[in-house]
Amino acid sequence: MDGIVELQRQLIDYTASLFHEGFLDEQFNQLQQLEDENNPGFVVEVVTLFFEDADRLLNELTKALGQPSVDFKSLDAHVHQLKGSSSSIGAHRIHRVCISFRNSCEEQNVEGCLKNLQQVKHEYSLVKDRLETLFRMEQQILNAGGSVRR
Amino acid sequence: MAESKDEIHFESSECSPASTSPMGGKHRYLFHRLCSSWDKSISLKGRRIFHRDVEKEEFQYASSHCLTSYYSVFVVRLAIMIMLAILIGLLTILTWHFTKIYTTKSLNSLAYGLRYELLQRPVLRMWNILNSTSEITTAQVKLSQYVIRRYSNPANQAEQVELYEAMRAITWSLFASRKALNSITINYKNGFVQAFHRDLKDNNTFYIYSDLANYSMGASNSNEINSFSTHQAWDDKALHGNYSAIWYREPLDPVSGEKIGKAMKIAPEDLINIAGFSQVPDGVASWHVAVSKFTDSPLLSAALPVWDSSNKTIMAVVGVTTALYSVGQLMRELVELHSGHMYLTSQEGYLLATSTSAPLLANSTKPKLKMAVDCEDDVIRHGAEWLQRTYGNNFPPSHEVHVENVKLGHQRYYIDSFFLKLKRLPLVGVIIIPRKYIMGQVDERAFKTLVILISASLCILVIGCVCILILTNGVSKEMNLRAELINQLEARRKAEASSNYKSQFLANMSHELRTPMAAVIGLLDILISDDCLTNEQYSTVTQIRKCSTALLRLLNNILDLSKVESGKLVLEDAEFDLGRELEGLVDMFSVQCINHNVETVLDLSDDMPKVVRGDSARVVQIFANLINNSIKFTPSGHIILRGWCGNRNSSVGSPNFHLDQKKSRSLQKCREKPNANHSKKTSLKDNKVILWFEVDDTGCGIDPSKWDSVFESFEQADPSTTRLHGGTGLGLCIVRNLVNKMGGDIKVVKKEGPGTLMRLCLILSAPMDVIEQQCAVDLTENGLVVLLAQQGNMGRLITSKWLQKNGVCTMEASDWNGLTQVLRELFHARSSVHNTDFDAHYPAKEELKSKLLNIRDMRNPVFVIVVDMGLLDLSTDIWKEQLNFLHRYFGRAKFVWVLNHDTSNTIKMEIRRKGHVLMVNKPLYKAKMIHILDAVIKERNLELQRKNMTAPRMKEGDLHEFLEIDSTHFEAASSDDSDISEVGESSSPSSSYGTEDNQPKSHSSKAVDGKKSLEGLKILLAEDTPVLQRVATIMLEKMGAAVVAVGDGQQAVEALGCMFPAEDRRRESLQKGITPYDLILMDCQMPKMDGYEATKAIRKSEVGTGLHIPIVALTAHAMSCDEAKCLEVGMDAYLTKPIDFKMMVSTILSLTKRTS
Repeated sequence: MDGIVELQRQLIDYTASLFHEGFLDEQFNQLQQLEDENNPGFVVEVVTLFFEDADRLLNELTKALGQPSVDFKSLDAHVHQLKGSSSSIGAHRIHRVCISFRNSCEEQNVEGCLKNLQQVKHEYSLVKDRLETLFRMEQQILNAGGSVRR
Repeated sequence: MAESKDEIHFESSECSPASTSPMGGKHRYLFHRLCSSWDKSISLKGRRIFHRDVEKEEFQYASSHCLTSYYSVFVVRLAIMIMLAILIGLLTILTWHFTKIYTTKSLNSLAYGLRYELLQRPVLRMWNILNSTSEITTAQVKLSQYVIRRYSNPANQAEQVELYEAMRAITWSLFASRKALNSITINYKNGFVQAFHRDLKDNNTFYIYSDLANYSMGASNSNEINSFSTHQAWDDKALHGNYSAIWYREPLDPVSGEKIGKAMKIAPEDLINIAGFSQVPDGVASWHVAVSKFTDSPLLSAALPVWDSSNKTIMAVVGVTTALYSVGQLMRELVELHSGHMYLTSQEGYLLATSTSAPLLANSTKPKLKMAVDCEDDVIRHGAEWLQRTYGNNFPPSHEVHVENVKLGHQRYYIDSFFLKLKRLPLVGVIIIPRKYIMGQVDERAFKTLVILISASLCILVIGCVCILILTNGVSKEMNLRAELINQLEARRKAEASSNYKSQFLANMSHELRTPMAAVIGLLDILISDDCLTNEQYSTVTQIRKCSTALLRLLNNILDLSKVESGKLVLEDAEFDLGRELEGLVDMFSVQCINHNVETVLDLSDDMPKVVRGDSARVVQIFANLINNSIKFTPSGHIILRGWCGNRNSSVGSPNFHLDQKKSRSLQKCREKPNANHSKKTSLKDNKVILWFEVDDTGCGIDPSKWDSVFESFEQADPSTTRLHGGTGLGLCIVRNLVNKMGGDIKVVKKEGPGTLMRLCLILSAPMDVIEQQCAVDLTENGLVVLLAQQGNMGRLITSKWLQKNGVCTMEASDWNGLTQVLRELFHARSSVHNTDFDAHYPAKEELKSKLLNIRDMRNPVFVIVVDMGLLDLSTDIWKEQLNFLHRYFGRAKFVWVLNHDTSNTIKMEIRRKGHVLMVNKPLYKAKMIHILDAVIKERNLELQRKNMTAPRMKEGDLHEFLEIDSTHFEAASSDDSDISEVGESSSPSSSYGTEDNQPKSHSSKAVDGKKSLEGLKILLAEDTPVLQRVATIMLEKMGAAVVAVGDGQQAVEALGCMFPAEDRRRESLQKGITPYDLILMDCQMPKMDGYEATKAIRKSEVGTGLHIPIVALTAHAMSCDEAKCLEVGMDAYLTKPIDFKMMVSTILSLTKRTS
C-alpha cells in the first residue's frame, strides 16, 4: 500500500515538474478533468491521437521543407494544425515553437522554418517521452490497484 | 444698423432732393466699407479653418480680427455722425433761410409801402400847398380884375382910395381864409403896393402898404405908366429904387383884420417879396421858390397878372407866397413817428424842406437856398452825396430810386426818391430810413434764430453723437461678444473633438498596448517557469511580472474609461445576484484588509432585491474601485459597504423621491434607445429599483472642496498621495462614469467623524417574479441566542443589530475575557437559576442583565456562539487551552468559528477534531449568518427528530461533519444554480470547497458545478484536428450534449443538408419546429472548406426559412479582427483555442437559451 502511495506521490511530483518545466499547461488539467467513468483513458486516447497527428504533420512538414520550392501556404496550414492540436492537449512548448514557426512561415524564411522544425521535432520527442512516462506511471498505479487522483 | 441708415438716407433725401445722389454715393461707399470688412473677416475665418492647428497664426488672427472689427465699427460710427451732422446742418440752414427770407420779403414790401406812403404825404402836402396857393392866386386875380374894372378909371384921388380900400378888403378876406398863406401882395400899375403878411414865427399879421401921397398924381401917372408899360415893363428897379416909396406896416388883428397898432414906416423890400411885373413877363402864372430874410424856410411864391377888361394891359400883379414850413413840419412829424430822414429838393438840388430842424438857408447877408449836399444834417448830406455820387445828373427817367442797404456813416439805410413833376417847379423827394428801423427787429430775430438754431443743432449733434456712440458701443460690444462666442464655440467644438480623439486614441492605444503587455506577461510566465533561473533572476522576473500586471491593470482602466467616454461601453443586461456579488467582493477585500488592520463590513438591508438585472461585472467594478480606494486611504478602522433599497415603484415618504423619479425617467429614456426591443421585452416583467449604496471608511477623508473634482479623470484629492499610495486617479472617474451610465449618481457626502462617505445610487431593474421573501429562514420562532465574540466593532454591531431586528437575541463580546465572562454568566448562572450573587458581580451591566433575564425566560434556547479566530491567542500555544475551555460548552451551545484567511491548517484540524463543524471565513455578513443559523436550526431539528426516533447516541458521529460555508462564487456567477440548495446539501461530505487553495480541489468542484447543463442539445462540431475534435467532443458530451463531429466545412454543410436533403421535407421539418442541430461549433481554419465559407453557405441556405442555427467560431487567432470577420460572415459567437471549458459552456448556453 505504501508503494502505491509512493507511486502516487511520484506521479504528482512528476506531473508538477512537467507543468513547472512548461511541457504542459492548464489545458492538460482540463483534459484530465474530462476523464471520468464514461470516458476511461480519455487522456491517453487524446494524447495518442495527438501523437499520430503530430507524426503525420511532422512528416508533412519535413517533406514540404525538403522541396526545392517551399509552399509556405500549406506549410503554414500544417503548422497551424499542429499548433491547434498541441494547444488542445496543453503541450505548451510545442505550441510556443509553433508560434515562432508560423512567424517564420509568414516571413517565408526557409532557414528559420528548418530551425523551427528541428525544434518542434525536439520538443515533440521530449513531450512524447514525458507523456509516455506519465502514462506508464499511471498505468503502474492502476495496475497496483491505486487510483490516479488528480 | 442698416435700418437706421436707411432711415437717415430717406430723411435726407426728403429734405434735400438735390443732395440725394451724393448722399447715396456716400452710403454706397459705406456699405462697401462694411461689406469689405465683413468679407475680410469671413475670409480670415475660412483661412483659420485650414490652419487650425497652427496656434500662432490663430493668435494673430484673433488680434487682426479684433482690429478689423474695431476699425469697421469706428468707420461706421464716424459715418453715422457725419451724416447726422450734415442732416442737422441742412435742417438748421433751411429753417433759418425760410424764416429769414419770407419775413425779409414781406417786411421789405411793407417797408417799401411805408416809405412810399411816408414820402407821398409830404409830397401831397406840397401839392396841396401849391394848389391852394394857385387857387388863392387865381381867386385874388379874379377878384382884383373885378374890382379894378369897376374902378377902371379913377377920376380922382378919392376914387383911387376907394379902389384901394376895396382891394384891401377883398385881399384881407382871402388872406384871412387861408391861414397857411405867408403873404398876398398886389402891385398896382402905378406902383402902389398893398400886401398882407403873416409872420408865422410870432403869429403876427401885418398890413403893408406904400405911401399914398406919392401916388396922388396916380391918375396922371397911370397913363404914363400905361404908356410906359407898353414900352417897357415895370421893372423892379423902378419899383424899388427909382421910386423912393415909403412903406408902412401896420399890425392887424389876425382874426378880424382890425388895425391894432400904429403903422410904422419900413423900408421896402425888407419884409416880403412883392411880386412885380417882371415875374409875369408873358402874362401867365409863374412859380418860384423864394427866400426871405425873416423866415428861415423857403417860400413858394406864385405870381399872376391882373388884366384889364380888354385883356390888353396888366393892371396889377398879384403875388402869393406860402411858406414851405408846414411841409417841413409834416415831415418832422412823420419822421418823429417813423424815424429816418426826409427832404424835398428842387430839381436843381436845392433843399426845400427837411425833416430836421437844420436851417435850410445859407446864412449870409442875403439868405439863399442851400443845396442838399450842403445840408448841415449829416444823414441828409450823406444821402444826398451818395445819390449824387451814384447817379450824378443821370437820374433815372422817372427820377425814382429805391435803394436798400446804403451805408451812410455807420448805419445802413434805405434810400428812396420820388420825382414830383410840377409845372415850373419839379420836386424831388428823398426819404432815408435806417435799416434798423424796419429790419432791425428782423435782423436781430434772424440773428437770434440763427444763434439758437446753431446752438440747438450743435446740441443735437453732440447728443446724437453720444447716442450713436452709446448705441454702436452696444452693437459693437454685442458684435465682439458674438465673435467671441463664435470663437468659444469653435474652441469648444475643437476641445470636444480633441477629447473625443483622445478617448478614441486611448481606446485604440490601450488595446494596442494591451496585446504586447499580454505577450510580455506570458513570456515572463514562461521565464518564471523555466528551471535555469537563479534566485536573483527569479525574484527580478517576478518583480517584472508584478509590474507588468499593474501596468496591464492600468491599461484596462484607461480602456474602460475611454470606452465609457467614447460611448462605446454597452452595459450587459443579465440577471445576477447582487448580494452574492457584493459578498464575494467583500470577501476578497477583507483578505487585503486584514493586513491593514481594517475591518470590512457588508451591511445590506433586507429589502434589497436578491436578483437584479444589469451588468454584474460593471457593478462589481464600481464597488471594487470604491473599496479599493477606501482601503488605500484607510490605515485602520473599518470600511462599510451599506446597501438599501430606495423607493420601489412608489414610496412617497422618501426624501429623495423627486430625484429618484427624475433619475428613473432619464434612465428610462437612455435605456430605450440602445436596446429598445430588448427592454421592451423585459420592461413588462421588470420594475426599476433604486438601490442606494454607501461606502463608508475611516480613512483620511477628502477635503470638501474636492468632493466634486475627485471624480474627474487623473484627479486626486491630494497630489502627494501618488507617492504614498500610488494610483492614477482613474478609479473614481471610471466609477462615476459607470454609475452615470447605469442611470445613477455618485457623490461624496458629509459624514460624522473622520473618513469619507461616498453615496451612490444605481437604478437596476429587478425581475418581478424573483422579488419575494429574501430571508428564507424564519429566525424568530426558534429561540436563538447568538453570542457574537468578534474583534471588529462595526461588523459585530451591524450583525447584532440585524439579528435583533429579526428577533434573535444577541450578546456581544469583543475580546477573550469578555467572552469568557459572558459565557460564565450565561451558563453558570443558568445552571443555578436563582443565583442571587449575580447582581452583585455585575451591577453595571444592566443591559446585559436584562438580556440574561430574557434568555432565562426562554423555553428552549439554542445558543450560537460565534467565535472570531482573532480572539484566540495564536502567537503562542495558549489557543489550545482556550479551545479546550470553549469546548466545555460544546454540548450546550453551537460554536461557529470565524476563520481568518491565513488561519493555519493545524488550528482548523484541531477545531474539526473537536467536532466543531461550523466554520466560516471572515468577514461575517448577513448571508453567512443566515446559512449558519439555518444550519443550526436544521441540525437541532434533526437532533430532535433523532431523539424522537430513539436513536439518541448516534448524534456524535454525524456531527463530525465539516461545514465550511463560503460564498466565493463570483467567478462562476451564473445565478441559476442556487445557493440555498448547496446549504441544503451541506450535510454531505463532498460539498466542501474553498478558494484559497483551489488547485487540488478545483477538480471536484468542477464536477459539482458541471451538471449536465447542456442536456438535450444537439451540437455539430466541425473540426479537422483530431485532437481538438476529440477534446471538444468529450467536453460537450460531459455536459450532456449530443455531439456529431465532422472533419471539415464541406462535411458540416452536408451534415446540415443531408438531414433534410429535399427542400420540401426541410420546410416540413421547419413547420414541425425540428432543427437538425441546436448549435454548430465551427473551426475557422479547415481543409476543403474553411469555417467562414461553411458559415456563409449555411446562412445562405437559411435564407427564407426563418431559421437561424447558432454558429460558434473556434479559432486560434485571438485578435479582434478575426472576431469581426467571424461575426461578419454570420457567426454568432467566438471562442478561442485552446477551448476554455467554462467559456464554452456559457457561450453555448447563452446562444441556445436565446433561440429556444
